[in-house]
Amino acid sequence: MSIFAELLAGLGLLFVGLKLMGAHLQHAMGREVRRLLRAATVSRVSAFLCGAVAGAVTQSSNAVTLIAANLVRGGVFQTRQAIPVVAGANVGTSALVFIASVNLKVAVFYLVGLVGLAFHLRMDKRAGWRDWMGVMLGLALLFLGLDFIKSAPQELDLAAAAQAVGSLLTPTRGFILGCLLALVTQSASTPTILAVAVVQARVMGLEDGMFLVIGANLGSGLATLISAGDMKGEGRQLCHAAIQVKALGCLMVGLTAVAAMLSGVNLNQWLGHLGGGEPAFVLSIVFLALQLSGALVVVALVKLSERLAVRFSPPSQEDRLSRPHFIHDQAVRDPPTALDLVTRETARLVTQLPAILPDLDRQDGGEKPARLAAWKGAQAISAATDRFLTELIDQRLTRTDLDLALRAQAQVELVRALQETLHEFGMVVDGFRPPPPLVFNLSESLRAVLLVLSDAMPGESMELDLDVLDTLTSDRSELLDRIRRDLATSCAGGGEEARALMRATSLFERALWLVRRLCLALRARANEDNPPEWQSSSLTS
Amino acid sequence: MQIETEASGEDTVLKVSGRLDTLNAKPFEGKLLDAVKASNGAIVVDMAGVDYVSSSGLRALLVAGKAMSPHKRKLRLRTLQPQIQEVFDISGFSALFEIS
Repeated sequence: MSIFAELLAGLGLLFVGLKLMGAHLQHAMGREVRRLLRAATVSRVSAFLCGAVAGAVTQSSNAVTLIAANLVRGGVFQTRQAIPVVAGANVGTSALVFIASVNLKVAVFYLVGLVGLAFHLRMDKRAGWRDWMGVMLGLALLFLGLDFIKSAPQELDLAAAAQAVGSLLTPTRGFILGCLLALVTQSASTPTILAVAVVQARVMGLEDGMFLVIGANLGSGLATLISAGDMKGEGRQLCHAAIQVKALGCLMVGLTAVAAMLSGVNLNQWLGHLGGGEPAFVLSIVFLALQLSGALVVVALVKLSERLAVRFSPPSQEDRLSRPHFIHDQAVRDPPTALDLVTRETARLVTQLPAILPDLDRQDGGEKPARLAAWKGAQAISAATDRFLTELIDQRLTRTDLDLALRAQAQVELVRALQETLHEFGMVVDGFRPPPPLVFNLSESLRAVLLVLSDAMPGESMELDLDVLDTLTSDRSELLDRIRRDLATSCAGGGEEARALMRATSLFERALWLVRRLCLALRARANEDNPPEWQSSSLTS
Repeated sequence: MQIETEASGEDTVLKVSGRLDTLNAKPFEGKLLDAVKASNGAIVVDMAGVDYVSSSGLRALLVAGKAMSPHKRKLRLRTLQPQIQEVFDISGFSALFEIS
């Protein structure tokens, strides 16, 4: 019973340690890991190495895959560029397995001692120190857990246990057990560390341990796919790449092992020689071989890997809508062209704004999923444009270009705020079935204003359109206040509907204000492009 | 939607009835632009019979207004029903056109 308790405590400490370490590392180095992954796009090798470092730091290929998938979805890099990152992350996770194979007790003592002293000296009052103290404490707990797991089987009647395990476990069962353990723990390292402990205590043979590790490797690939949840399209493609790394590793190491067994090689004996008589080290090498063989093949055949990933998870409508049409990485090198591309991209975003709003003139109000996809896509492009501008500003720009870039960034920020407001407004409108007259009037009025705004993009009639928009977005607080007062009187008891109507009027007002600010920005830009010859005109003059 | 066109001196009057929605906006815009081309005076749109205006309907009016603007000609609207007047007020279009 005490063996079971020690094993359970070891696992508990391992999970708490991983969680604690991960959370504090995220705070302390989250930005660096993201920066590292962004910088990874230079070449396959750099991507692979960056992935390996990220995998070693986070000790979770799952986490790195999901971060990379989100970066792909956000347009930071393409699937093909991210595949080596995922492959590298798998190799990086081997670090923990190797650590588990050495004596950790002394390290635990030092870590706990250092953290305790740091707390006593109140070093935790500084956020930066606090995070690193959390990382060290997490690491200490993790090591302690590993030590518990490794020492638990030593209290067994080893001979009886070895006989029982030997009679129950076959390579196939070991493989399935490893697969299941990885699915439950969402990790290949945890079952491998358990196997290291059991093999080290001579309760399990090296051969069975190896098949358990192979199974755990495949299981963790499936776990990645499960963790991806409702992620679709391009975001999910990297999860398929992660499975390819795992499956290829299993295939290569597994086939080698089976071939050796079929040709009469005593695998237990051979593996024993491989690790110099240290079973824990052998399994660590097997684990590394699994990651490395799969990863290297996938990196070498990255185009094929991408094709397969795309086949299993083709780009979704949202992916297509999230793709910038004009800006691209290389354009940053030529600031005037880059600024021109940003202008075009922003103009395109503005013309897409009506697609985020419900179309109440249609019986279905415009399909909600299509509007949602339009909003998410527009958001992704705005974010990509903003990042592009930040990169551009980071370069040595001329004073004029810097000024233009900063103004373009402010414009993109306005477009993003407008997208958000329109989405919120659409959600309020969707809450009404059917929409009352006030909601219809607000929604269709806003749509009309946005249609004029999309016409006002650089072109022949831009000045006239801006004049029209100036009138359309003029202060309407008196009218809207009257509407709100009427609402408050007619729905004196309050209620959900009245609150929603009030919210709709507020969002409408905010949207108009944002359109007005955007027009001012557009007019300023237009005036600079064509110095002040034009004369104000309106439709009533 | 029905549109009757009649001349009133130099001006052209379009009597519109029915719905100015996505479906009818294009034909309505076409009629307005035809009227803009056919005369040199103001265009008056009588909307007494219009009981529904959507963003597409508003846009059609705006297109005609913009076509007349360079020639300093006017697009006037008249006899708007109260619910239609509210759409014009909320959207700000009542500040763009002369409404009587």
